[in-house]
Amino acid sequence: MFFDYSAEQQDFRDSLRKLIADRSPLPAVRARLGDAHDPDLWRTICDEMALLTLAVPERDGGAGFSLEETAIAVAELGRGLAPVPVFEAVLAIEAIVRTGTVAQRQELLPSLLSGERIAVAAVSGPDGLDQGAGPVTASPAGPVSSAGPASSAGAATPGHALTGSLRHVLRAHVADLLIVPALAPDGPGLFVVERTAPGVTVSGPGSSFDLTRPVCAVALDAAPAARLGDGPGPDLDGLLDVGRTLLAAEMTAAAEACLDAAVEYAKRRVQFNRAIGSFQAVKHGCAQLAVEIDAARAAADWAAMLAAARDPGLRTAALIAKAQAADTFTACAGWNIQVHGGIGFTWEHDAHLYLRRAKADEALFDNTFRHRALLADRAGL
Amino acid sequence: MDVSYPERAERFRADVRAFLAANLPAGWRGLGALAPGERHDFERAWRVTLAENNMLAVSWPAEYGGAGLSDIEQVVRSEEFERAGAPTGTENDGFGIGLLGNTLLVAGTEEQKRYFLPRILSGEHVWCQGYSEPDAGSDLAGVLTKATLDGEVWVINGQKIWTSAGATANWIFVIARTDPGVPKHRGLTFLLVPIDQPGVEVRPIKNAAGYDLFCEVFFTDARTPAGHVVGGVNNGWSTAMTLLGFERGAEVTTDPIRFRRDLDRLLELARERGRDAEPRIRDELAWCYARVEIMRYRGYRGLTRFLAGARPGADGAISKLIWSEYFQRYTELAMEILGLDALAPPGAGNGGALKVADAGTENSALCWAEEFLHARAGTIYAGSSQIQRTVIGEQLLGLPREPRLDGGPFRDIGKPATAPALGG
Repeated sequence: MFFDYSAEQQDFRDSLRKLIADRSPLPAVRARLGDAHDPDLWRTICDEMALLTLAVPERDGGAGFSLEETAIAVAELGRGLAPVPVFEAVLAIEAIVRTGTVAQRQELLPSLLSGERIAVAAVSGPDGLDQGAGPVTASPAGPVSSAGPASSAGAATPGHALTGSLRHVLRAHVADLLIVPALAPDGPGLFVVERTAPGVTVSGPGSSFDLTRPVCAVALDAAPAARLGDGPGPDLDGLLDVGRTLLAAEMTAAAEACLDAAVEYAKRRVQFNRAIGSFQAVKHGCAQLAVEIDAARAAADWAAMLAAARDPGLRTAALIAKAQAADTFTACAGWNIQVHGGIGFTWEHDAHLYLRRAKADEALFDNTFRHRALLADRAGL
Repeated sequence: MDVSYPERAERFRADVRAFLAANLPAGWRGLGALAPGERHDFERAWRVTLAENNMLAVSWPAEYGGAGLSDIEQVVRSEEFERAGAPTGTENDGFGIGLLGNTLLVAGTEEQKRYFLPRILSGEHVWCQGYSEPDAGSDLAGVLTKATLDGEVWVINGQKIWTSAGATANWIFVIARTDPGVPKHRGLTFLLVPIDQPGVEVRPIKNAAGYDLFCEVFFTDARTPAGHVVGGVNNGWSTAMTLLGFERGAEVTTDPIRFRRDLDRLLELARERGRDAEPRIRDELAWCYARVEIMRYRGYRGLTRFLAGARPGADGAISKLIWSEYFQRYTELAMEILGLDALAPPGAGNGGALKVADAGTENSALCWAEEFLHARAGTIYAGSSQIQRTVIGEQLLGLPREPRLDGGPFRDIGKPATAPALGG
């Protein structure tokens, strides 16, 4: 009977939190608002911390921990809005581990786990599809198109050509590989596409609302692609539930960062000859959000536990965690601005970076109302 | 993380299930399915059965009449009883066993434990709680009830209020002021007082739903022996807070079971009335489902920490806010689902249940209407939502306290700090 972080997990969390605070404080995050990518931090995270390997089984070259530890890692990076594509890469790696053949895993995973190459999963919308853009279609390529295969020959050799457009692929501008859900004549599949392959056009990041995790548009015009796996259609719902679980962990930690900032300011800011945090109007607002954070933390940890165990209960728990965390993060990010007053609504202040992340995270995999609608269906209400 | 229970707890769970199967009446559907007359007789006989089978205080040492098992068995007992819709005792047992008995185990003298604990379990002593007063609710340390030592007895004068199950009790634990010359928290004493004496009068108060669930208790030269003090004279605040620490012990794992059972009843109501597919109703139902699940997750976390020896501080305040605020939103949804039936709700009521209705209660409109009314009390009793938020803000978040106007000797509170200036 133990539902909490183990001592080892707490140590891991604390050391990662310290690393992010030292190496990527908010001024450093702000200095990279353009591409939101810090290659040095990425190297440290991949080489020293081996964060991408945590949930990968040892047979696939991973560290053989679990998604519990991955969720802790994603949470700590989210807490600091760290400019590295860990959430995206972990989800792409999870897709390959879950779906790929032995040969595909052997070919693709080593360079992805080491961070030498970056894969992102293009699964931002509901059902993993990019809302409003229509599904990407996959045609069997037959003889490989005139442009030739982009990847080396082997298990991940392109056998399909993808056509369609994706408008909201997280951090595609730093990706080497894209994992794209697409509809083939014989059913849906997950496909691996090289970003530099012919027929692939990545635009952006341009006008992303979330300045610390930008999105790109990806146009695919008969782009050569390799289908992951050789069995029936992939369990895209299962992959999305892992995404929701990790995002819930991120949002909960980022919500804590917002409340911490609000509380810290409320202790310092003096009006009417008193610290404003002594006024119940401010104190109770902070307390109510601490309650919601506690609830979000419980739901996120529960989902992570089930995801790590591949427990079917994740089908509802991931939705509960995502919905709770989204409501909580948005409320905390907004409250942080409110407590800071005018200074909180300036470009220079970091508060809006979190509010932007909150609303972007909320929209990912569909909004909270739709999450609850799906929960009602899955729970049989 | 792993939420499976240890093997010995699961073995005990099987014992509890066997006990329930052997002792509950055939066709048992829950306390709520009994007719009002049957209910009283059942509760009385059931209390005897529980005492005879050591099911009342599972974690108390055997030398004081308990079953001599550990905290996790106590939790398992409560979970299985809740699942079966079987009471774990009377409402007074919540005060006698859950609050006072547990407090005596940590703060009582050996003599007090040997005298009181077996009598609590046998049912000879039936307890209620004398905390709130008309002028001391949220400001509990401001109690005015006075106790003075007269030789070998305390003489008590004053009034308590909102005393749940006071009408069925024959003992009351009282926070009384014993030294008005020191700051308010320091001059209090925790006293054990027999009710069956001329100086104590208990009067029922009808609540907003029409039930007599709480009382006011008047003390007029009431007496209790000098030794019936828990935790030392003028140290009553500490004892009072120790006791409140037990208030939300077992609830963390049993509340989600109760709320889930009742949510299933609400889902049934929504389906019966063809409202479950309406997007707004469905959204609210899903929110309720998620909240109860979150309570369940938090229950496991609370249990993890409880078994590791931690006692809930600000964490208890969070639990209280979550369930009580949930309960209001949830019962408001029920009223919405009732539609026009909310205007003149037919059927049987909720039996006066303070939280959700007992298992087996008729799924009637009146039951929901009464549950809706009782939910208003949840954010007031056992520390109002506002007090809980202050506790969280100050103890968990470390926000500064408000400037206090009630420092110094208790008897001087509210008096001008200096003599008012003369006019002219």
